[in-house]
Amino acid sequence: MSIVECRGLTKTFGGKMALNHFSCSIEENTITGLIGRNGAGKTTFLKILAGYFQQTSGEVRVFSERPFNNLTVSANVLFIHDQLNLPTALTLQEILDTMAGFYKNWDREFAQRLFEYFSFRPSQYHNDLSKGMKSTFNMILGLAARTSLTIFDEPTTGMDAAVRSDFYRALLKDYIAYPRTIILSSHHLEEIENLIEDILLIKEGRELLHIPIADLKEWAIGFQGKTHVVKEWTQGREIIFSKSDVPDYLYVVVKNDFTEVELEKAKVAGISISHVSSSNLCVYLTSKTKGGIDDVFNKG
Amino acid sequence: MMSLTKVSLPEMVKQQYAYKLKAYIQVFMSLVMIQVIAVLFSLGGTGMMGSGGGLIDLELHYYSADVVVAFTILWGFITAVLITTKAYRNDDFLFVTNRITSNFSNMLFLLTASIIGGVTAVLSTFLVKIMISLLKKDLYISGPADLASITDMLSGIFASILYIFLFCALGYLVGTLVQLNRLFAFVLPVVFIGGVFLDGMRGEGAIIQGLYRFFFTEPSIALFSIKVICTLALLFTGAFVLSNRMEVKSS
Repeated sequence: MSIVECRGLTKTFGGKMALNHFSCSIEENTITGLIGRNGAGKTTFLKILAGYFQQTSGEVRVFSERPFNNLTVSANVLFIHDQLNLPTALTLQEILDTMAGFYKNWDREFAQRLFEYFSFRPSQYHNDLSKGMKSTFNMILGLAARTSLTIFDEPTTGMDAAVRSDFYRALLKDYIAYPRTIILSSHHLEEIENLIEDILLIKEGRELLHIPIADLKEWAIGFQGKTHVVKEWTQGREIIFSKSDVPDYLYVVVKNDFTEVELEKAKVAGISISHVSSSNLCVYLTSKTKGGIDDVFNKG
Repeated sequence: MMSLTKVSLPEMVKQQYAYKLKAYIQVFMSLVMIQVIAVLFSLGGTGMMGSGGGLIDLELHYYSADVVVAFTILWGFITAVLITTKAYRNDDFLFVTNRITSNFSNMLFLLTASIIGGVTAVLSTFLVKIMISLLKKDLYISGPADLASITDMLSGIFASILYIFLFCALGYLVGTLVQLNRLFAFVLPVVFIGGVFLDGMRGEGAIIQGLYRFFFTEPSIALFSIKVICTLALLFTGAFVLSNRMEVKSS
Protein backbone atom coordinates (compact mmCIF):
# COMPACT_ATOMS: atom_id res chain seq x y z
CA MET A 1 0.00 0.00 0.00
CA SER A 2 1.54 3.29 -0.96
CA ILE A 3 1.16 6.24 1.34
CA VAL A 4 2.14 8.82 -1.22
CA GLU A 5 1.17 8.54 -4.84
CA CYS A 6 1.69 11.24 -7.40
CA ARG A 7 1.56 11.40 -11.14
CA GLY A 8 2.54 14.23 -13.44
CA LEU A 9 2.67 16.65 -10.54
CA THR A 10 3.39 20.17 -11.74
CA LYS A 11 3.62 23.35 -9.72
CA THR A 12 4.47 26.73 -11.16
CA PHE A 13 5.20 29.94 -9.34
CA GLY A 14 4.68 32.92 -11.59
CA GLY A 15 5.86 31.12 -14.71
CA LYS A 16 8.75 29.28 -13.08
CA MET A 17 8.27 25.54 -12.83
CA ALA A 18 9.14 24.25 -9.38
CA LEU A 19 7.83 20.79 -10.15
CA ASN A 20 7.69 19.50 -13.67
CA HIS A 21 5.61 16.35 -14.19
CA PHE A 22 6.91 14.79 -11.03
CA SER A 23 5.81 11.22 -10.36
CA CYS A 24 6.55 8.89 -7.51
CA SER A 25 5.05 6.44 -5.12
CA ILE A 26 6.22 6.01 -1.55
CA GLU A 27 5.43 2.80 0.28
CA GLU A 28 4.13 2.42 3.79
CA ASN A 29 6.63 2.13 6.65
CA THR A 30 9.74 3.22 4.82
CA ILE A 31 12.26 5.94 5.38
CA THR A 32 12.80 7.75 2.13
CA GLY A 33 15.58 10.22 1.58
CA LEU A 34 14.66 13.07 -0.71
CA ILE A 35 17.85 14.36 -2.25
CA GLY A 36 18.32 17.24 -4.62
CA ARG A 37 20.16 20.46 -5.20
CA ASN A 38 18.98 23.81 -3.93
CA GLY A 39 15.91 24.82 -5.89
CA ALA A 40 15.33 21.34 -7.28
CA GLY A 41 11.76 21.36 -5.96
CA LYS A 42 12.18 19.34 -2.77
CA THR A 43 10.36 21.73 -0.47
CA THR A 44 7.63 22.42 -3.01
CA PHE A 45 6.95 18.70 -3.29
CA LEU A 46 6.86 18.28 0.48
CA LYS A 47 4.57 21.27 0.92
CA ILE A 48 2.14 19.78 -1.55
CA LEU A 49 2.16 16.54 0.44
CA ALA A 50 1.52 18.46 3.65
CA GLY A 51 -1.42 20.27 2.07
CA TYR A 52 0.26 23.68 2.11
CA PHE A 53 0.30 24.13 -1.64
CA GLN A 54 -2.12 23.12 -4.30
CA GLN A 55 -0.63 21.63 -7.44
CA THR A 56 -1.00 23.46 -10.74
CA SER A 57 -1.71 20.20 -12.54
CA GLY A 58 -1.26 16.49 -12.09
CA GLU A 59 -2.46 14.16 -9.37
CA VAL A 60 -1.38 13.70 -5.81
CA ARG A 61 -2.74 11.33 -3.18
CA VAL A 62 -1.68 10.97 0.43
CA PHE A 63 -3.40 8.05 2.19
CA SER A 64 -5.45 7.89 -1.02
CA GLU A 65 -6.85 11.37 -0.39
CA ARG A 66 -6.12 14.78 -1.86
CA PRO A 67 -3.92 16.51 0.71
CA PHE A 68 -4.91 20.13 0.07
CA ASN A 69 -7.33 21.44 2.69
CA ASN A 70 -7.87 17.93 4.03
CA LEU A 71 -8.42 17.44 7.75
CA THR A 72 -7.67 13.69 7.77
CA VAL A 73 -4.39 14.24 5.97
CA SER A 74 -3.54 17.07 8.32
CA ALA A 75 -4.21 14.87 11.35
CA ASN A 76 -1.88 12.17 10.07
CA VAL A 77 0.91 14.20 8.54
CA LEU A 78 3.40 16.33 10.37
CA PHE A 79 5.66 18.55 8.32
CA ILE A 80 8.76 19.74 10.13
CA HIS A 81 10.88 22.31 8.30
CA ASP A 82 13.42 24.92 9.27
CA GLN A 83 11.11 27.87 8.74
CA LEU A 84 8.52 26.48 11.09
CA ASN A 85 6.70 29.29 12.87
CA LEU A 86 5.66 28.40 16.35
CA PRO A 87 3.23 30.48 18.37
CA THR A 88 5.32 33.21 19.96
CA ALA A 89 3.14 33.61 23.05
CA LEU A 90 3.50 30.02 24.20
CA THR A 91 6.38 28.57 26.16
CA LEU A 92 8.04 25.39 24.96
CA GLN A 93 6.15 23.35 27.52
CA GLU A 94 2.84 24.88 26.42
CA ILE A 95 3.65 24.05 22.82
CA LEU A 96 4.25 20.41 23.76
CA ASP A 97 0.93 20.35 25.63
CA THR A 98 -0.87 21.88 22.66
CA MET A 99 0.64 19.31 20.31
CA ALA A 100 -0.56 16.57 22.64
CA GLY A 101 -4.10 17.91 22.32
CA PHE A 102 -4.01 17.89 18.54
CA TYR A 103 -2.14 14.70 17.71
CA LYS A 104 -3.80 11.53 18.95
CA ASN A 105 -0.62 9.42 18.90
CA TRP A 106 1.48 12.01 20.71
CA ASP A 107 3.79 10.36 23.24
CA ARG A 108 4.00 12.72 26.20
CA GLU A 109 6.59 10.76 28.09
CA PHE A 110 8.88 10.37 25.09
CA ALA A 111 8.62 14.08 24.32
CA GLN A 112 9.40 14.93 27.92
CA ARG A 113 12.46 12.71 27.99
CA LEU A 114 13.85 14.17 24.77
CA PHE A 115 13.04 17.64 26.10
CA GLU A 116 15.11 16.99 29.20
CA TYR A 117 17.89 15.20 27.36
CA PHE A 118 18.51 18.24 25.16
CA SER A 119 18.30 20.45 28.28
CA PHE A 120 15.42 22.68 27.28
CA ARG A 121 13.74 24.65 30.02
CA PRO A 122 9.92 24.54 30.10
CA SER A 123 9.60 28.32 30.45
CA GLN A 124 11.71 29.14 27.38
CA TYR A 125 10.20 30.67 24.26
CA HIS A 126 10.87 29.29 20.80
CA ASN A 127 11.86 32.72 19.48
CA ASP A 128 14.67 32.98 22.01
CA LEU A 129 16.31 29.73 20.93
CA SER A 130 19.34 29.60 18.68
CA LYS A 131 18.96 28.18 15.20
CA GLY A 132 20.30 24.78 16.16
CA MET A 133 18.15 24.64 19.28
CA LYS A 134 15.08 25.52 17.23
CA SER A 135 15.81 22.63 14.89
CA THR A 136 16.31 20.35 17.86
CA PHE A 137 13.00 21.37 19.38
CA ASN A 138 11.22 20.94 16.03
CA MET A 139 12.70 17.47 15.81
CA ILE A 140 11.17 16.57 19.18
CA LEU A 141 7.79 17.63 17.80
CA GLY A 142 8.31 15.53 14.69
CA LEU A 143 9.32 12.42 16.59
CA ALA A 144 6.84 12.53 19.46
CA ALA A 145 3.78 13.18 17.26
CA ARG A 146 4.16 9.72 15.69
CA THR A 147 2.05 10.67 12.72
CA SER A 148 1.57 8.04 10.00
CA LEU A 149 3.54 10.25 7.64
CA THR A 150 6.26 12.41 9.09
CA ILE A 151 8.13 14.79 6.83
CA PHE A 152 11.43 16.35 7.82
CA ASP A 153 12.67 19.05 5.47
CA GLU A 154 16.30 19.89 6.19
CA PRO A 155 15.83 18.93 9.83
CA THR A 156 19.43 19.32 10.92
CA THR A 157 19.94 22.94 9.88
CA GLY A 158 22.17 24.59 12.47
CA MET A 159 22.54 21.51 14.66
CA ASP A 160 26.03 20.65 15.85
CA ALA A 161 27.56 17.29 14.97
CA ALA A 162 26.68 15.66 18.29
CA VAL A 163 23.02 16.65 18.18
CA ARG A 164 22.85 15.64 14.55
CA SER A 165 23.99 12.11 15.25
CA ASP A 166 21.69 11.99 18.29
CA PHE A 167 18.82 12.98 16.08
CA TYR A 168 19.47 10.31 13.49
CA ARG A 169 19.86 7.70 16.19
CA ALA A 170 16.66 8.75 17.93
CA LEU A 171 14.84 8.73 14.62
CA LEU A 172 16.00 5.23 13.80
CA LYS A 173 15.24 3.79 17.22
CA ASP A 174 11.80 5.32 17.31
CA TYR A 175 11.11 4.19 13.77
CA ILE A 176 11.97 0.61 14.66
CA ALA A 177 9.75 0.73 17.75
CA TYR A 178 6.88 2.49 15.96
CA PRO A 179 7.16 1.89 12.21
CA ARG A 180 5.69 4.68 10.13
CA THR A 181 6.42 6.44 6.88
CA ILE A 182 9.12 9.04 7.05
CA ILE A 183 10.42 11.37 4.35
CA LEU A 184 13.69 13.04 5.05
CA SER A 185 15.08 15.72 2.80
CA SER A 186 18.69 16.74 2.97
CA HIS A 187 21.60 18.11 1.01
CA HIS A 188 23.93 15.74 2.79
CA LEU A 189 23.37 12.20 1.64
CA GLU A 190 26.42 10.88 3.51
CA GLU A 191 24.68 11.83 6.75
CA ILE A 192 21.48 9.94 6.16
CA GLU A 193 22.85 7.21 3.93
CA ASN A 194 22.84 4.63 6.72
CA LEU A 195 19.39 5.60 7.86
CA ILE A 196 17.26 5.66 4.76
CA GLU A 197 15.92 2.68 2.88
CA ASP A 198 14.98 4.33 -0.37
CA ILE A 199 16.41 7.30 -2.12
CA LEU A 200 14.35 9.67 -4.23
CA LEU A 201 16.53 11.87 -6.33
CA ILE A 202 15.01 15.03 -7.70
CA LYS A 203 16.46 17.33 -10.32
CA GLU A 204 14.90 20.42 -11.83
CA GLY A 205 11.45 19.45 -10.63
CA ARG A 206 11.52 15.90 -11.96
CA GLU A 207 12.20 12.58 -10.33
CA LEU A 208 15.54 11.24 -11.48
CA LEU A 209 15.87 8.04 -9.54
CA HIS A 210 13.82 6.23 -6.92
CA ILE A 211 15.61 3.07 -5.80
CA PRO A 212 16.66 1.33 -2.59
CA ILE A 213 19.80 2.96 -1.21
CA ALA A 214 21.61 -0.38 -1.33
CA ASP A 215 21.14 -0.49 -5.09
CA LEU A 216 22.50 3.01 -5.45
CA LYS A 217 25.90 1.84 -4.23
CA GLU A 218 26.12 -0.55 -7.17
CA TRP A 219 24.39 1.72 -9.62
CA ALA A 220 27.45 3.33 -11.14
CA ILE A 221 31.12 2.62 -11.48
CA GLY A 222 34.24 4.73 -11.92
CA PHE A 223 36.82 4.14 -14.67
CA GLN A 224 40.21 5.72 -14.53
CA GLY A 225 43.07 5.41 -16.95
CA LYS A 226 44.61 6.67 -20.19
CA THR A 227 42.12 8.88 -22.00
CA HIS A 228 41.93 6.86 -25.21
CA VAL A 229 41.54 3.55 -23.36
CA VAL A 230 38.81 4.86 -21.08
CA LYS A 231 37.02 6.47 -24.02
CA GLU A 232 37.10 3.24 -25.92
CA TRP A 233 35.63 1.29 -23.01
CA THR A 234 32.91 3.76 -22.20
CA GLN A 235 31.81 4.37 -25.74
CA GLY A 236 28.06 4.06 -26.12
CA ARG A 237 27.58 3.94 -22.37
CA GLU A 238 25.69 6.40 -20.26
CA ILE A 239 28.36 8.76 -18.99
CA ILE A 240 27.40 10.43 -15.75
CA PHE A 241 30.54 12.36 -14.99
CA SER A 242 33.96 12.83 -16.43
CA LYS A 243 36.99 14.64 -15.15
CA SER A 244 40.56 15.03 -16.33
CA ASP A 245 42.98 16.33 -13.74
CA VAL A 246 46.16 15.15 -15.38
CA PRO A 247 46.60 15.51 -19.16
CA ASP A 248 45.86 12.35 -21.09
CA TYR A 249 44.32 10.82 -18.02
CA LEU A 250 40.58 10.50 -17.60
CA TYR A 251 38.18 9.62 -14.83
CA VAL A 252 34.70 8.66 -15.96
CA VAL A 253 31.64 7.58 -14.03
CA VAL A 254 29.28 5.37 -16.02
CA LYS A 255 26.12 3.48 -15.27
CA ASN A 256 27.08 0.03 -14.08
CA ASP A 257 25.62 -2.34 -16.65
CA PHE A 258 28.86 -4.17 -17.27
CA THR A 259 29.24 -7.88 -16.78
CA GLU A 260 31.93 -9.36 -14.55
CA VAL A 261 33.84 -10.54 -17.59
CA GLU A 262 33.81 -7.13 -19.18
CA LEU A 263 35.14 -5.55 -16.01
CA GLU A 264 37.95 -8.08 -15.85
CA LYS A 265 38.88 -7.28 -19.44
CA ALA A 266 38.86 -3.59 -18.71
CA LYS A 267 41.22 -4.12 -15.80
CA VAL A 268 43.58 -6.02 -18.05
CA ALA A 269 43.43 -3.12 -20.53
CA GLY A 270 44.88 -0.89 -17.82
CA ILE A 271 41.82 0.76 -16.39
CA SER A 272 41.50 1.04 -12.64
CA ILE A 273 37.95 0.45 -11.57
CA SER A 274 36.52 2.03 -8.46
CA HIS A 275 33.27 2.28 -6.58
CA VAL A 276 31.48 5.57 -6.58
CA SER A 277 30.21 6.67 -3.21
CA SER A 278 26.49 7.32 -3.06
CA SER A 279 26.90 10.94 -2.11
CA ASN A 280 29.33 11.66 -4.94
CA LEU A 281 27.05 9.87 -7.34
CA CYS A 282 24.16 12.05 -6.27
CA VAL A 283 26.21 15.15 -6.84
CA TYR A 284 27.16 13.94 -10.32
CA LEU A 285 23.61 12.93 -11.16
CA THR A 286 22.04 16.17 -10.08
CA SER A 287 24.70 18.30 -11.68
CA LYS A 288 23.65 20.38 -14.67
CA THR A 289 26.81 19.64 -16.65
CA LYS A 290 28.95 16.56 -17.06
CA GLY A 291 32.12 18.12 -15.71
CA GLY A 292 30.79 20.03 -12.72
CA ILE A 293 32.38 23.30 -11.64
CA ASP A 294 35.46 22.49 -13.72
CA ASP A 295 33.48 23.38 -16.82
CA VAL A 296 33.43 26.99 -15.69
CA PHE A 297 37.21 27.07 -15.76
CA ASN A 298 37.69 25.07 -18.95
CA LYS A 299 37.12 27.72 -21.58
CA GLY A 300 37.99 25.46 -24.40
CA MET B 1 -3.05 -0.54 6.00
CA MET B 2 -2.21 1.20 9.19
CA SER B 3 -5.01 2.87 11.05
CA LEU B 4 -5.35 6.54 10.34
CA THR B 5 -6.38 8.96 13.02
CA LYS B 6 -9.86 10.19 12.25
CA VAL B 7 -10.81 13.62 13.51
CA SER B 8 -14.07 15.48 13.29
CA LEU B 9 -14.41 19.07 12.21
CA PRO B 10 -16.19 20.37 15.36
CA GLU B 11 -13.66 18.62 17.56
CA MET B 12 -10.75 20.31 15.80
CA VAL B 13 -12.47 23.70 15.83
CA LYS B 14 -12.87 23.34 19.59
CA GLN B 15 -9.26 22.30 20.01
CA GLN B 16 -8.02 25.22 17.93
CA TYR B 17 -10.27 27.65 19.74
CA ALA B 18 -8.82 26.55 23.08
CA TYR B 19 -5.33 26.91 21.65
CA LYS B 20 -6.02 30.39 20.29
CA LEU B 21 -7.38 31.68 23.58
CA LYS B 22 -4.01 30.81 25.07
CA ALA B 23 -1.73 31.72 22.20
CA TYR B 24 -3.35 35.08 21.34
CA ILE B 25 -3.16 36.36 24.90
CA GLN B 26 -1.40 39.54 23.75
CA VAL B 27 -4.65 40.63 22.15
CA PHE B 28 -6.24 40.95 25.58
CA MET B 29 -3.27 42.75 27.02
CA SER B 30 -3.61 45.35 24.30
CA LEU B 31 -7.33 45.58 25.12
CA VAL B 32 -6.52 46.52 28.71
CA MET B 33 -4.08 49.17 27.58
CA ILE B 34 -6.42 50.65 25.01
CA GLN B 35 -9.30 50.84 27.46
CA VAL B 36 -7.16 52.52 30.10
CA ILE B 37 -6.12 55.13 27.56
CA ALA B 38 -9.74 55.52 26.46
CA VAL B 39 -10.88 56.01 30.07
CA LEU B 40 -8.31 58.77 30.46
CA PHE B 41 -9.63 60.42 27.29
CA SER B 42 -13.15 60.12 28.64
CA LEU B 43 -12.22 62.29 31.60
CA GLY B 44 -11.93 65.19 29.21
CA GLY B 45 -15.64 64.90 28.62
CA THR B 46 -17.52 64.27 25.42
CA GLY B 47 -19.31 67.59 25.28
CA MET B 48 -19.51 70.96 26.95
CA MET B 49 -22.15 73.64 27.22
CA GLY B 50 -21.71 76.96 28.85
CA SER B 51 -23.98 79.86 29.60
CA GLY B 52 -23.73 82.84 31.88
CA GLY B 53 -25.48 85.96 32.92
CA GLY B 54 -25.07 88.31 35.81
CA LEU B 55 -23.59 86.55 38.74
CA ILE B 56 -24.15 83.11 37.42
CA ASP B 57 -21.69 81.37 35.17
CA LEU B 58 -22.77 77.89 34.18
CA GLU B 59 -20.64 75.27 32.55
CA LEU B 60 -22.02 71.86 31.81
CA HIS B 61 -19.71 68.98 30.91
CA TYR B 62 -20.93 65.70 29.56
CA TYR B 63 -19.07 62.54 30.36
CA SER B 64 -19.62 59.10 28.91
CA ALA B 65 -17.81 55.88 28.13
CA ASP B 66 -18.55 56.24 24.43
CA VAL B 67 -14.87 56.84 23.77
CA VAL B 68 -14.06 53.50 25.40
CA VAL B 69 -16.56 51.70 23.18
CA ALA B 70 -15.22 53.48 20.10
CA PHE B 71 -11.65 52.56 20.98
CA THR B 72 -12.67 48.97 21.63
CA ILE B 73 -14.34 48.84 18.22
CA LEU B 74 -11.10 50.01 16.65
CA TRP B 75 -9.23 47.43 18.70
CA GLY B 76 -11.57 44.71 17.41
CA PHE B 77 -10.89 45.75 13.83
CA ILE B 78 -7.11 45.72 14.30
CA THR B 79 -7.17 42.41 16.17
CA ALA B 80 -9.11 40.80 13.34
CA VAL B 81 -6.66 42.11 10.76
CA LEU B 82 -3.79 40.90 12.91
CA ILE B 83 -4.94 37.29 13.13
CA THR B 84 -5.21 37.04 9.36
CA THR B 85 -1.50 37.78 8.96
CA LYS B 86 0.88 34.99 8.07
CA ALA B 87 2.55 34.93 11.46
CA TYR B 88 -0.76 33.89 12.99
CA ARG B 89 -2.34 31.98 10.12
CA ASN B 90 0.67 29.77 9.48
CA ASP B 91 0.89 28.77 13.14
CA ASP B 92 -2.29 26.78 12.67
CA PHE B 93 -0.65 24.53 10.14
CA LEU B 94 1.73 23.04 12.62
CA PHE B 95 -1.36 21.56 14.21
CA VAL B 96 -4.22 19.63 12.74
CA THR B 97 -6.16 22.02 10.57
CA ASN B 98 -7.70 22.88 7.30
CA ARG B 99 -8.85 26.31 6.17
CA ILE B 100 -12.38 25.73 7.41
CA THR B 101 -11.44 24.85 10.98
CA SER B 102 -8.91 27.64 11.00
CA ASN B 103 -11.53 30.19 9.94
CA PHE B 104 -14.17 28.90 12.33
CA SER B 105 -11.83 28.94 15.28
CA ASN B 106 -10.78 32.47 14.34
CA MET B 107 -14.41 33.51 14.21
CA LEU B 108 -15.09 32.01 17.62
CA PHE B 109 -12.02 33.70 18.97
CA LEU B 110 -13.14 37.07 17.61
CA LEU B 111 -16.60 36.55 19.10
CA THR B 112 -15.02 35.86 22.48
CA ALA B 113 -12.82 38.90 22.12
CA SER B 114 -15.88 41.01 21.21
CA ILE B 115 -17.80 39.78 24.23
CA ILE B 116 -14.92 40.52 26.58
CA GLY B 117 -14.30 43.88 24.90
CA GLY B 118 -17.99 44.83 24.91
CA VAL B 119 -18.61 43.93 28.53
CA THR B 120 -15.49 45.71 29.81
CA ALA B 121 -16.14 48.76 27.64
CA VAL B 122 -19.67 49.26 28.95
CA LEU B 123 -18.68 48.52 32.53
CA SER B 124 -15.94 51.12 32.28
CA THR B 125 -18.76 53.70 32.61
CA PHE B 126 -18.56 53.06 36.34
CA LEU B 127 -14.86 53.66 36.38
CA VAL B 128 -15.32 56.94 34.52
CA LYS B 129 -18.02 58.00 37.00
CA ILE B 130 -15.92 57.19 40.01
CA MET B 131 -12.92 58.99 38.64
CA ILE B 132 -14.94 62.08 37.79
CA SER B 133 -16.54 62.26 41.22
CA LEU B 134 -13.12 61.84 42.77
CA LEU B 135 -11.11 64.14 40.52
CA LYS B 136 -13.58 66.84 39.60
CA LYS B 137 -14.73 68.68 42.67
CA ASP B 138 -17.70 70.29 40.99
CA LEU B 139 -21.31 69.33 41.29
CA TYR B 140 -22.06 65.93 39.84
CA ILE B 141 -25.46 65.40 38.27
CA SER B 142 -26.54 61.93 37.33
CA GLY B 143 -27.32 61.50 33.67
CA PRO B 144 -29.79 59.14 32.11
CA ALA B 145 -27.20 56.38 32.16
CA ASP B 146 -27.19 56.39 35.96
CA LEU B 147 -30.89 55.95 36.05
CA ALA B 148 -30.82 53.17 33.48
CA SER B 149 -32.21 49.85 34.56
CA ILE B 150 -30.26 46.64 34.43
CA THR B 151 -32.04 45.64 31.21
CA ASP B 152 -30.91 48.88 29.57
CA MET B 153 -27.42 48.15 30.70
CA LEU B 154 -27.61 44.65 29.27
CA SER B 155 -28.95 45.86 25.95
CA GLY B 156 -26.11 48.40 25.94
CA ILE B 157 -23.61 45.60 26.41
CA PHE B 158 -25.33 43.50 23.76
CA ALA B 159 -25.25 46.33 21.23
CA SER B 160 -21.60 47.09 22.00
CA ILE B 161 -20.67 43.45 21.49
CA LEU B 162 -22.45 43.43 18.14
CA TYR B 163 -20.70 46.63 17.05
CA ILE B 164 -17.30 45.27 18.02
CA PHE B 165 -17.97 41.92 16.38
CA LEU B 166 -19.19 43.69 13.26
CA PHE B 167 -15.90 45.54 12.98
CA CYS B 168 -14.00 42.34 13.75
CA ALA B 169 -15.74 40.72 10.80
CA LEU B 170 -14.92 43.70 8.63
CA GLY B 171 -11.30 43.58 9.78
CA TYR B 172 -11.17 39.84 9.11
CA LEU B 173 -12.38 40.32 5.55
CA VAL B 174 -10.02 43.25 4.98
CA GLY B 175 -7.11 41.24 6.41
CA THR B 176 -7.97 38.26 4.22
CA LEU B 177 -8.14 40.46 1.13
CA VAL B 178 -4.75 41.95 1.94
CA GLN B 179 -3.30 38.45 2.42
CA LEU B 180 -4.73 37.47 -0.93
CA ASN B 181 -3.16 40.44 -2.66
CA ARG B 182 -0.97 43.14 -1.17
CA LEU B 183 -2.56 45.67 -3.50
CA PHE B 184 -5.64 45.75 -1.27
CA ALA B 185 -3.56 47.31 1.49
CA PHE B 186 -3.48 50.45 -0.70
CA VAL B 187 -6.78 50.12 -2.50
CA LEU B 188 -9.05 49.72 0.54
CA PRO B 189 -7.93 52.87 2.43
CA VAL B 190 -8.18 54.84 -0.82
CA VAL B 191 -11.73 53.58 -1.35
CA PHE B 192 -12.70 54.42 2.22
CA ILE B 193 -11.14 57.89 2.38
CA GLY B 194 -12.24 58.56 -1.18
CA GLY B 195 -15.78 57.70 -0.12
CA VAL B 196 -15.63 60.18 2.74
CA PHE B 197 -14.35 62.91 0.39
CA LEU B 198 -16.96 62.11 -2.20
CA ASP B 199 -19.67 62.43 0.43
CA GLY B 200 -18.19 65.76 1.49
CA MET B 201 -17.94 67.12 -2.05
CA ARG B 202 -21.47 66.23 -3.02
CA GLY B 203 -22.72 67.64 0.24
CA GLU B 204 -24.91 64.64 0.87
CA GLY B 205 -23.90 61.64 2.88
CA ALA B 206 -24.52 58.85 0.46
CA ILE B 207 -21.93 56.15 0.89
CA ILE B 208 -20.10 56.26 4.19
CA GLN B 209 -22.75 58.28 6.01
CA GLY B 210 -25.41 56.02 4.61
CA LEU B 211 -23.65 53.03 6.11
CA TYR B 212 -23.26 54.90 9.36
CA ARG B 213 -26.96 55.68 9.49
CA PHE B 214 -27.83 52.12 8.61
CA PHE B 215 -25.98 50.69 11.59
CA PHE B 216 -25.64 53.43 14.17
CA THR B 217 -29.00 55.16 14.22
CA GLU B 218 -31.28 52.17 14.39
CA PRO B 219 -33.59 52.65 17.37
CA SER B 220 -34.94 49.09 17.52
CA ILE B 221 -32.54 46.64 19.10
CA ALA B 222 -34.21 43.71 17.35
CA LEU B 223 -33.96 45.28 13.93
CA PHE B 224 -30.41 46.36 14.67
CA SER B 225 -29.48 42.78 15.63
CA ILE B 226 -30.92 41.42 12.42
CA LYS B 227 -29.03 44.00 10.35
CA VAL B 228 -25.75 43.24 12.10
CA ILE B 229 -26.13 39.46 12.04
CA CYS B 230 -26.92 39.48 8.32
CA THR B 231 -23.89 41.68 7.64
CA LEU B 232 -21.73 39.44 9.82
CA ALA B 233 -22.82 36.42 7.83
CA LEU B 234 -21.93 38.18 4.58
CA LEU B 235 -18.53 39.38 5.79
CA PHE B 236 -17.46 36.05 7.25
CA THR B 237 -18.72 34.06 4.28
CA GLY B 238 -16.70 36.36 2.04
CA ALA B 239 -13.56 35.84 4.10
CA PHE B 240 -14.10 32.06 4.32
CA VAL B 241 -14.63 31.65 0.60
CA LEU B 242 -11.67 33.84 -0.29
CA SER B 243 -9.25 32.12 2.06
CA ASN B 244 -10.34 28.57 1.34
CA ARG B 245 -7.89 28.22 -1.54
CA MET B 246 -5.10 30.18 0.07
CA GLU B 247 -1.72 28.48 0.22
CA VAL B 248 0.58 28.42 3.20
CA LYS B 249 3.63 30.44 2.31
CA SER B 250 6.38 31.12 4.75
CA SER B 251 8.03 34.49 5.27
